Amino acid sequence: MLSENLVSKVLGEALKEGGDFAELYAERRHTVSMSLEDSRLERSSTGLDAGVSIRVTRGRAVSFVSVDSMEERDLVEAARLAGQGLAGDSAGMKQLELITLTSPHVIEVTPASVAAREKAAMLQAADAAARGAGGEIVQASVGYQDEVSEIMIANSEGVLAADSRTRVRFSVRAVGARDGMMQTGADSMGAHRGMELFEVRDPADVGLVAAQKALIMLDSQPSPSGKMTVVLHRGFGGVLFHEACGHGLEADSIEKGTSVFAGRIGEQVASGLVTLVDDGSIPGEWGSSTFDDEGTPTQRTVLIEEGRLAGFMYDGLRARNLGAVSTGNGRRQSFRHPPIPRMTNTFIHAGTSKPEEIIAATEKGFYAKTLAGGQVEPASGDFVFGVSEGYTIEGGRVTTPLRGATLIGNGLNALNNIDMVADDFEMHIGVCGKDGQGVPAGSGQPTLRILDMTVGGTEI
Amino acid sequence: MLDIARKALELAVATGVEQAEALAMRTRSTRIRVYQQEVEELASSTGSGVGIRVFRGDSVGFSYTSDLSGDALAAAAREAADNAEVTAGDQFMGLPEPAAGFPELDLYSEKLQQVPLAEKIELTREIERTALERDSRISQVDSATYAEGEGLVAMANSKGFSRQYEENTCYAFLQAIALQDGQMQTGMSFTTGREPGQLEPAACGREAADRAVALLGGSQCESMTCPVVMDPFVSASLIGVIGSALTGEAVQKQRSMFAGLEGQKVAAGIFSITDDGIHPDGMASAPFDGEGVPMGVTELIKDGILQGLLYDTYTGKKDGKPSTGNGIRGSYRSQPHVGATNLRLAGGTASLDQIIAGVDSGFYVMEVSGIHSGTNPVSGDFSVGASGRLIRGGQLAEPVREVTIAGNLMAILKNITVIGNDNRWVPFGGSIHAPSLLIGEMTVSGK
Repeated sequence: MLSENLVSKVLGEALKEGGDFAELYAERRHTVSMSLEDSRLERSSTGLDAGVSIRVTRGRAVSFVSVDSMEERDLVEAARLAGQGLAGDSAGMKQLELITLTSPHVIEVTPASVAAREKAAMLQAADAAARGAGGEIVQASVGYQDEVSEIMIANSEGVLAADSRTRVRFSVRAVGARDGMMQTGADSMGAHRGMELFEVRDPADVGLVAAQKALIMLDSQPSPSGKMTVVLHRGFGGVLFHEACGHGLEADSIEKGTSVFAGRIGEQVASGLVTLVDDGSIPGEWGSSTFDDEGTPTQRTVLIEEGRLAGFMYDGLRARNLGAVSTGNGRRQSFRHPPIPRMTNTFIHAGTSKPEEIIAATEKGFYAKTLAGGQVEPASGDFVFGVSEGYTIEGGRVTTPLRGATLIGNGLNALNNIDMVADDFEMHIGVCGKDGQGVPAGSGQPTLRILDMTVGGTEI
Repeated sequence: MLDIARKALELAVATGVEQAEALAMRTRSTRIRVYQQEVEELASSTGSGVGIRVFRGDSVGFSYTSDLSGDALAAAAREAADNAEVTAGDQFMGLPEPAAGFPELDLYSEKLQQVPLAEKIELTREIERTALERDSRISQVDSATYAEGEGLVAMANSKGFSRQYEENTCYAFLQAIALQDGQMQTGMSFTTGREPGQLEPAACGREAADRAVALLGGSQCESMTCPVVMDPFVSASLIGVIGSALTGEAVQKQRSMFAGLEGQKVAAGIFSITDDGIHPDGMASAPFDGEGVPMGVTELIKDGILQGLLYDTYTGKKDGKPSTGNGIRGSYRSQPHVGATNLRLAGGTASLDQIIAGVDSGFYVMEVSGIHSGTNPVSGDFSVGASGRLIRGGQLAEPVREVTIAGNLMAILKNITVIGNDNRWVPFGGSIHAPSLLIGEMTVSGK
């Protein structure tokens, strides 16, 4: 994308005034997105984002400049600006050395090789499948995005890395109506893969599943409130642990001591049944990449092992500040954003119980089958999650669908109150937001049971 | 930038489409973060790009590029035309007719650029310092931040529209962390303006500290049904959700609880809300929207009666109504979609203290979380995480956390019994001018 000479020159300029580390991040990204609603393909759009950012650090201080350009004079000026605020001794520049890693993320069918009409047909197929699920489906909205991003990263420690990332995502939201009541159901899929993703799962199936969820919720009763035993269905519950525990395991909150996990490595922080892992190297997974956005190869990091706190997720800066090694978790939304410690694919390991055993062992409880997303207060670990598909568990059986429920609790308490973990692991995709930056993140978990969790509903 | 918009427009017209539009933007932003009185991060970005929208027959296509070279613009024009080949045609599609006049707005302060960086850094340090000095229980401040942005927005279309405007804003915010007996609570505050002189760093730091300390020692309360007082931060979140259901699109697509209710009573008689796209203090104000339609003031709910909806050109034509100037565009990267600009809720006469004094037993909510996942704009079901203080005998009592408040939005709107006189601009989830509210009854779920 940029010549090695130019990169060296820019990094040299960035370190002229001082600074102990300088980095260049260049990116050229093509995106395609389509959306369908009212059975009409409403929008089809393409875009190009291209530019470079320069980051200089000195101790804990970061200076960052981005430009929507790849022209030499703009890059040199950006480097000069970035270096300005950090006067002092310069660490100097090491010789750049290209790191070559074979990407495990094989793209069989590039998105660009598939005609827009064919992509449009997939959206139509999902819409037809959703509407075909029942006459009560009154609306379906279908979204498709693909993105191909070419990245180049170089820094004053000699790292020179290039990465190519192709991601495809498909989602459906269906609305069902009955007697003036409306309910929605949603489903999505996505991967760090090409169009072969749709050979694994048909777009129509995503539409059908979304519609079925909406139809089930038309039979729902208002959710009761109070402390209950909660069974989290596989897959979707992973986002709860992403929010409630994952963010507190990112090294920036550890560095500032704003996390409940700070200074507790080796301590028992969760039920012995819990092993929590972040792994950005899983081939083809949504949150995966060959390198992170600082040129560090991604890896598998055990965060909690059988309940004991085992590790944190580091980017380069926090690793340097805390005397640790980057775990390949330095991520950014685009070249316009500085990297920060972020999760990649974060999940709870499969256990040994069978999901049906867990339900059967629950006399009275709440079955959270699909979560709608949520929010956490990182300092306290308090979280809240909407349940888009929930059920009553009575006498060891899943019975009435429930609407309007919210799960509320505390990350540490929830981790400690897990008393059964099944063997039916599944991953889900999402876009994680932090400091105003959104990045693709996967999360997953097997079906598991949490004792004594608060369900907020409309009925007391 | 207007030159670039015109050049992109020419290239788009040359592809043979019937109608075309180009939006060109140049932006500059700076962000300062201070931690323990040192600058932790200094970030600046400059950007520019063009979004091209074309209509082929009555189908729309769109493409954007951040590369302004002639080749990249030509490629974007071609892609936009290609995209119009696959979208579905619709008789309501097309550009707006040229308008007769546009509002004169002063959205740019020369002072923003004139204030030296060192002063902006000092302002950020003051925010952190004030919070730390406010109360000994404030252990630290996370993300004391000053940010500023400037934009030059230029648009040209094949119906003869060709205009540009400049705007800038700045804001500062912080999250104060209070610590007591091993329990951490956070409190946030912000201050907004068009130049640093309009910001109030000390008041901002104090408020964040007070909000964090007020929640210390909180625990779950018993589940109950009771009156709920929402402070302006919280009522702004609620109003944001209501605003997104008051668009022509949400109603036409049956995604709104307000469908079919125009002219009917949808809220308490004391409740009135307008969308004001030209308010001088509104951060979303502009002379024209993302389609080149003049922005203005739209009454949405007046004295509890639903007056009308927000429209862009497309959704307006569909309902046989003019656009209300609500074709919103976040940047040149996106196509216009109908949405709120600055939502203003009409204030009442009671102070927050008076509202609390009038509640015998209830819940004062200071923070809500999970507002998007917890709200169903179609059914109106609403259930979100909340923290705040109990109210007993008209006085604030013990702090509460880890509970939810729930109800149906339609019932909540009709059950607003008092509106505060403490309107302020809240920049979360839109630009919202919100007062405190008393809701007669909601479900609080705790123990």
